[in-house]
Amino acid sequence: MNSLAEKFVAAAGTRTRVVQGGPAREPILFLHGGVSGATLYCSGAHIWSPCLGRFAAGRRVAAPDLPGFGETPAPEGGAAVDRAGRYVLALIDALGLAPCHLVGHDEGGLIALWSALEAPAKIRSVGVVAGGAVAPSGDSVASLALLNPPRPLWSRAAQAWALERLSHAPHHITPDLLDLCAACAGAPPHCDAITGAGRSFLASIAPAKARLYAHCRERAFPVPVQLVWARNDPLASVEQGMALFKLIAERQRATQFHVINRAGSLPFREQPEAFHAVVSAFHDGIAAEH
Amino acid sequence: MSPAPDPPLPEGRWIEAGGVRTRYHEAGQGEPIVFIYGGNFGTADSASSAYTWNVNLAPLAARFRAIAFDKVGQGHTDNPPGDDYTMAAVVRHAAAFIEALKLPPVHLVGHSRGGFAAMRLALEQQHLIRSLTIVNSGTLSPRVGTNDVVLAQPPHPSYTRECARWVYENYCHDRAIVTEAWIDAVMEVLALPKYRASVDKMEKEGLKTSRFLPALARDKRETLAWLAEGCLQRPVQFVWGANDRTAAVEGARDLFEMAAAHERRALLHVVNHSGHFPFREHPERFNALLANFAAWASA
Repeated sequence: MNSLAEKFVAAAGTRTRVVQGGPAREPILFLHGGVSGATLYCSGAHIWSPCLGRFAAGRRVAAPDLPGFGETPAPEGGAAVDRAGRYVLALIDALGLAPCHLVGHDEGGLIALWSALEAPAKIRSVGVVAGGAVAPSGDSVASLALLNPPRPLWSRAAQAWALERLSHAPHHITPDLLDLCAACAGAPPHCDAITGAGRSFLASIAPAKARLYAHCRERAFPVPVQLVWARNDPLASVEQGMALFKLIAERQRATQFHVINRAGSLPFREQPEAFHAVVSAFHDGIAAEH
Repeated sequence: MSPAPDPPLPEGRWIEAGGVRTRYHEAGQGEPIVFIYGGNFGTADSASSAYTWNVNLAPLAARFRAIAFDKVGQGHTDNPPGDDYTMAAVVRHAAAFIEALKLPPVHLVGHSRGGFAAMRLALEQQHLIRSLTIVNSGTLSPRVGTNDVVLAQPPHPSYTRECARWVYENYCHDRAIVTEAWIDAVMEVLALPKYRASVDKMEKEGLKTSRFLPALARDKRETLAWLAEGCLQRPVQFVWGANDRTAAVEGARDLFEMAAAHERRALLHVVNHSGHFPFREHPERFNALLANFAAWASA
């Protein structure tokens, strides 16, 4: 495994914590999911821990704490998909990654797609992982997966509960992970988000999806897209994944849909080897095509 | 995207497998990948051969020992002894070929009818298999295959280039990938006296309807039952062209569900802008899927 290091970089005026490593080729920027102050576990760069080292063995990887998560302060004026998308483009510049592959988990996938629509020249491909926040849902039935969380919310125990409810199996919910999640919960960005600043992100999801869907309906999505779903995801069904695939595939030739077995909403944690194989295959294939 | 280039296959070699003189092509060193193509003996509108994998063998040879052989009664391999024109004979011969080459457990890749043969071989002889990749196999899919519909009554006579081209163009999403070199390979097989003899057996003597199809239907019932029961205990992936008019992608989901219920290392991949032959329509991405899967399956 290649060693990873933490560094702080200013992007769009925001002092950002980034975990990065690997040799300088075929860079991937990983965007975690979640809505700060709303999602019942605290995501951040740490969520990618089982798989970052695998990718860094052969190529450059970087994973930020997005604004409002971990140690990166919340954006001025409230979080939103478009604001996060512009921030990601600034981060790509600040890290010198362009052109890079984006891999985004759930809400991070929506941000990745938004960024690619905005500045396709900077982005080689987008991977959307367990994209419940991205896929068409229609008037979907409410998920009961996280119906009755234990209190207090965002305690170590409450986050362990949420992570287990979202997973196929709990083996990846390690003490190290819970320590990091608990630290994030107590840090100022998350505390600020709970008091309301983060909730604006939820309201921005529907307009961002509408922009994406209209674009895909009328024109090709500008870069190759890979959808990585998980067979046991309580929040994003394979049916929804196929619906998103069909929407993007209508006009973007290089679209692929994948399903990983024995994984819930965090397949890169539960089945990191399979995740690495599926994502690497897509990037290798695109590189070989050009 | 321009049509796939036409790299020639490595020169053919011969080996005796289960009493059948068998032609095969191989390149590279490392863990073996064995490819089983689709179609069956005794078809006059088109004919498969190892050439089907010409855009996969050379690139994968960089990391693997990549092997494509002609199935019994197809390509240049001899017809089945005792007129045993059955899928069971195809599976027995494929296993005998792997044993004849004295290969360590192989990454087995099967397409279409060859996908059925590969699954059946894996279920019957699991010790020969390291991993299994099934590609657009309507024969294995529990859904209704629509080859009969899409390829009914070709507008050209049997044994002609025009007919073979029409068949493959209807299989593919992008008709431009049906190259002259691919059709040359088909015509070479269609011209072989032994291949014409297999057409006589299947069509004129009626072995296709009296024997091959009924036996395949019985084998399929058993094979899907074994798969659903969890008999397959090797890493498995299903790779499917999303735009196949003959084998709907829903069948891939069904097969993945059956396998994934019992085997952790199960993957489903759906590839856009691809008909029946994703490994020919998008060889770079298919080869990368296979190489990364094989590496994971062996880890």
